[in-house]
Amino acid sequence: MVKRMMNNVFDVIVIGSGVIGSSIAYHLSESKNHEILLIDKDFPLSGTSGSTQAWVWVHSKVPSWYGELSMFSAELYPFLEKKIGDVEYKRTGGIAPFFNKAEREKAWRLVEQQAEVGIDIEVLTRDEVLEKEPSLSSHVAGATFSKLDGNVNPFRLVELYVKAAKRNGVQCSFYNQVIDIEKSGDIFRLETYKGVFRAKKVILAGGPWSKDLGSMLGVEMPVKQVRGQILVTEPLQPFLKYTIGGIRQADNGEVLIGYSKEEVGYDRRSTLDVIQQTAKMATDFVPALAKANVVRTFSGIRVMPKDGFPIIGEIPNMDGAYVAVMHSGITLSPLVGTLMTELLTDGETSIDLTRYSLARFEGV
Amino acid sequence: MDKSTIVCRCEEINVDEIETAMKNGAETFDDIKRLTRCGMGPCQSKTCLNPVREIIAEYTGKPLADIRISRMRMPLKLVRMSALTNGSEGGNVASVFGESVEDGETNDE
Repeated sequence: MVKRMMNNVFDVIVIGSGVIGSSIAYHLSESKNHEILLIDKDFPLSGTSGSTQAWVWVHSKVPSWYGELSMFSAELYPFLEKKIGDVEYKRTGGIAPFFNKAEREKAWRLVEQQAEVGIDIEVLTRDEVLEKEPSLSSHVAGATFSKLDGNVNPFRLVELYVKAAKRNGVQCSFYNQVIDIEKSGDIFRLETYKGVFRAKKVILAGGPWSKDLGSMLGVEMPVKQVRGQILVTEPLQPFLKYTIGGIRQADNGEVLIGYSKEEVGYDRRSTLDVIQQTAKMATDFVPALAKANVVRTFSGIRVMPKDGFPIIGEIPNMDGAYVAVMHSGITLSPLVGTLMTELLTDGETSIDLTRYSLARFEGV
Repeated sequence: MDKSTIVCRCEEINVDEIETAMKNGAETFDDIKRLTRCGMGPCQSKTCLNPVREIIAEYTGKPLADIRISRMRMPLKLVRMSALTNGSEGGNVASVFGESVEDGETNDE
């Protein structure tokens, strides 16, 4: 393919090079039929996608149609890895512990719900949980368990999405904030720090910053910013086998701990109160962690659509404008990249996205 | 510094790896860190911060004073988990299981 010189005119501009934007750029580039620009106000991994435990998590995602979407995406990971390289995807199996016997009944309801879409969940007794994961607290009352869950190295994942996209001819412009978007006729005109770019189609994949991008197009993006804080321990001997709802051990031995949620806008500081609560969760779940040393804390701003579910598809009443914004972008990125490619290429998708349309919020 | 000189002892990252990250577009310590793990080990960039800043300065031709330092976060030096659990109360930490069995139609806090 003859590569056009950078003339600032593209078929598609993807704004945001986090896990979702870079996955869309990569999947769209596979056919090598589009001139694509991937643009980001910072550098890949500087935002949400670089500050996550990166679970690929399925089994407790409800309602079941959302669980099903997560399952389809998790199932794409082994093949994705064949295409873009080793992203350290591990299907460890996932344990969501509970500490109150009364919750066993709720666990069985989850099993029934998720069985409708083929998500296989086991309800473990206390003894069964401790047999699987002996380091968990003996106070555990039980857990739900699924083989579908796992985790991935988010740094490798995004880096390899971007590298693969570049190999397919995608152009990247990083440290380059989009200042304004205008549409005239069929063409979007993006004013950025590093000049003007034009495209027939534009995809907003800015995660929590999609709110700002939306307003450039006059669209009220119905999302919240939610801060999550995470603790990192020193490297420890491998002792946690599974991805536990709240805790996982990385290949290098570090244990990542956290499942906090605060609505504090774009404030990314680590705060002692939440770090202490997270440390308490760590030792409540895995008592031996009391003796582990904490090396680092980090914090990221997640995006949370107002109803909790992904926003994927066309922006209503604006031909050529698309959005892909969601919590759980790590889990969903292989599928979302695939579906957005179908949508932009064929105008329709193999999974009906009506439920995920931005249009569902209108009039709310 | 030789290409193979180790700049980050904790993660064993050499000059060549830092320069490769910059060839891939990274311009700051933290962006290099996320690509290479340089500075992510037990010392939390206390050893490698300035060598890496010098490499960035040389590569970009900018004065050293213009090269930002890494983002420092607590606890700055190793702290036992049990030292943090004392006196922690309150509820910003959610339960994965708990969320799944609440009414799944809404997810508001």
